[in-house]
Amino acid sequence: MREESITSILADLNSSSTDIEASAIISTDGLVIASLLPTSVDEDRVGAMSAAMLSLGDRTALELDRGALEQVLIKGANGYILMTHVGHDAVLTVMTKSSAKLGLIFLDVKRAVADVTSVL
Amino acid sequence: MQQYKIIFSGSVGAGKSTAIKVISDIEVVATEARASDHIQKMKESTTVAMDYGRINLDAETTVHLYGTPGQERFSFMWEILAQGALGLVLLIDCSATAIKTDINRYLAAFKDFIKENAVVIGLTRSDLSTGIDWEMIYDTLAENDISAPVFEVDARNKTDINMLVEALVLSIDPTIDSTINPVVT
Repeated sequence: MREESITSILADLNSSSTDIEASAIISTDGLVIASLLPTSVDEDRVGAMSAAMLSLGDRTALELDRGALEQVLIKGANGYILMTHVGHDAVLTVMTKSSAKLGLIFLDVKRAVADVTSVL
Repeated sequence: MQQYKIIFSGSVGAGKSTAIKVISDIEVVATEARASDHIQKMKESTTVAMDYGRINLDAETTVHLYGTPGQERFSFMWEILAQGALGLVLLIDCSATAIKTDINRYLAAFKDFIKENAVVIGLTRSDLSTGIDWEMIYDTLAENDISAPVFEVDARNKTDINMLVEALVLSIDPTIDSTINPVVT
């Protein structure tokens, strides 16, 4: 039931922009809670990598005095990966094309985070 | 100034984070997240990226300690953390049900690393087991064509973990004075 509502939030997010190619909600220890990923992507790997990146981001932000972590952004030649905290125990990971307008993505992600928080 | 990097890997709950915490001279950089899978019965939180600690063997020698997550889904971190390391401390929880499978899994994952570098094995949580089957342990190592020192250790015990690290550093560089300076507390 909860998984369905989260999946429908992810579906809304993915359809809000053609630049968003995949999204997933992951527990902070790296297990997928709900996901809309291309079949070519290994769900477990996305989960584990998101958890590792976010936890390192957490530590780095704290150690280097930047306050509580909000997001981790990765830019590759083929696009962006954006990881955002959803409460204490989950992460929203979004993958976009390189043409994505980050401002719009941030807005859509913020909305999705609020929606998922109310469900989790 | 000599700098060594060694990594701690091995089964979930074997005490990798604990071991690094207990011997590190600096405050450990840890990346713990609340466990949400079956592991939560065993412990509340689990390492998701790495632990980092450091010990000074003497004024001239520093050992950087990196701990990996235990779960296989984090195996990409095993590769990342093994880069540039000179030795591996493999901690195996011997209160687990499938010790042989665990040893085989980590020896296979670090096969190429072990070919080039030193390895020591620490058997932990033996107080919760029915006794260590040493013959099985040595057979498993032999089947993997590996000869490595094996110690029964308590990950919470500084002396035990220091001994593991000393054994590893000695096999990396036999000329080093590996006696870890006892810390006056």
